[in-house]
Amino acid sequence: MDQTPRKDTVVIGLGNLLMSDEGIGVHLIRKFSEHQDKFPSVEFIDAGTGGMNVLHLIANRKKAVIIDCVKMGKKPGTIKRFEPADVQTTKKMMHFSLHEADILRIIELSGQLGECPDKIVIFGIEPESLDLGQKLSKTLSDGIDAYSLDICKELC
Amino acid sequence: MHNNLDINVHHITRVEGHGNIVVNVKNGKIEKLQWQVPEAPRFFEAMVRGHSYQDIQTIVSRICGICSITHSLAATKAVESALGINVSEQADKLRILMHYSEQLQSHTLHIGYLAAPDFFGTPSVVPLVARAADAVKTIVKAHRIANTWSDLIAGRTTHPVTLIPGGLTRIPTEKQLRELQQTLKDAVPDLKKIAEVVLSVAANVPKFERPTEYVSLKQTTPPTYTFYHGGVTSNDNKGAAVPIEKWHDVANEYMVEQSTAKWAKWHRDAYAVGALARFNNNAELLSPMAKNAAKTFGLQKGCCNPFMNTVAQLVECFHVVETSIEIIDQLLTKGLKTEKVTSSPKAGKGAGCVEAPRGILFHEYEFDKNGKCAAADICIPTNQNHANIQKDFEKLLPEILDQSEKDIRLKLEMLVRSYDPCISCSTHFLNVQFVR
Repeated sequence: MDQTPRKDTVVIGLGNLLMSDEGIGVHLIRKFSEHQDKFPSVEFIDAGTGGMNVLHLIANRKKAVIIDCVKMGKKPGTIKRFEPADVQTTKKMMHFSLHEADILRIIELSGQLGECPDKIVIFGIEPESLDLGQKLSKTLSDGIDAYSLDICKELC
Repeated sequence: MHNNLDINVHHITRVEGHGNIVVNVKNGKIEKLQWQVPEAPRFFEAMVRGHSYQDIQTIVSRICGICSITHSLAATKAVESALGINVSEQADKLRILMHYSEQLQSHTLHIGYLAAPDFFGTPSVVPLVARAADAVKTIVKAHRIANTWSDLIAGRTTHPVTLIPGGLTRIPTEKQLRELQQTLKDAVPDLKKIAEVVLSVAANVPKFERPTEYVSLKQTTPPTYTFYHGGVTSNDNKGAAVPIEKWHDVANEYMVEQSTAKWAKWHRDAYAVGALARFNNNAELLSPMAKNAAKTFGLQKGCCNPFMNTVAQLVECFHVVETSIEIIDQLLTKGLKTEKVTSSPKAGKGAGCVEAPRGILFHEYEFDKNGKCAAADICIPTNQNHANIQKDFEKLLPEILDQSEKDIRLKLEMLVRSYDPCISCSTHFLNVQFVR
């Protein structure tokens, strides 16, 4: 159906825009999309909470960068770059749930299917608030430019 | 028979969100048996208050990552009802095409990633790749086709962007529709392959029956196996359909101590929604290939085995693909036209209802004279199934109490999963611990 060649690198923002800092991944994708012309070989995708679809979005790319709200036990607003092998999820390793789309399990499935990118990088941002609301907390809102710069380094 | 048994499944896996199963048997007597939903309720209705009628469908699309098209469609229909906005035949058909793409997305996900491991006896889909690689790859392919289909009509795989009150902001070209039609024709052999795989493990579908009230949409003009138009019916309602505006008389939502989610009841003390409900109310209107699939599995109207919901979903996969091929023919025969969509604000109240993959979904909104949302009410399908899951538990457990604790636990978990519940359509964030 869609014959458009896929770009080598994909940046995927995950999160729920209705739950304040939970939507940080999507907010960052929106910011990057405004500057798409500076990243000709990068596709920016707001994947929202369609977690399982990440399997298809990363398939057969060279590199995937995932931006997500992650509880890491760090100070709210902290951004941390990691790769799948650096972490284990606190959920049981053998289980698989969709909405909670355990991204690490999706990456594992992608590998089993032989279509996983060579390089996957996850940027986790520690939330301050997960309350209902469409605005980021001040802490994360103030950090947006710094987060963008960190992620940008991964794309250059 | 167990004299004493304690099962506490904290956060059942392979369902969306958190639900618990609690079983206490003492001296051969069932003292406690509960399906619990302990999640904090999320008042999404509050999120739309004060927003323009033009923005509601975009906001509510974020409620859920799997049913986002369905939420947007229900909201759009409710807004159109409230403000008296008409929709063209072309836009109506394109919306149904959009909606069918989500049915295929969600059903293939549930059948392939969530239910199949139960039938194959694996803990998840990841180890299933080693055991049935071709089957998993076929599921992934079908799911991928459904996603691309959503991209084309909804503008995105999830959280659609082309829907607005009165129509669509963007429509596909005739060339794109022809390509989609060919893709769907090519997908039929894959669906047959998936059906063969499911059939090969169908003996593992538990034999269990409990007479149940099944609630779904019903469309009589023209008679259609509907996901989108019509009124609300049930097998207890003597074939009559209740207008959407009276949905509160159907859902009768109420609170219970064991759950933070609301429960629902209509003619009985519980009812079921979802693919099996739609099948039981409308099976004679399925497409020919869907009817064949049902026949292959021995699925007949009146089936009251909840474990067969997954089979009904598979049957519906055939229906949405076959019907979409026809809808595209109709659209191409008439020729696609660019349509200008206009609407203006006014005060009003309206309800919208569509079938989510996991059952009937109600949205209702009230707007002031400036078109700002003054009140909202959303009733999701999973909440409508909670009471029925509890009633199924109460019949099932005594029937399997002589089985091992492991088997009892598995069957109760499988029962919940068969409803394809979506408990928290909202949050997904990871909790991680660094290992190096």
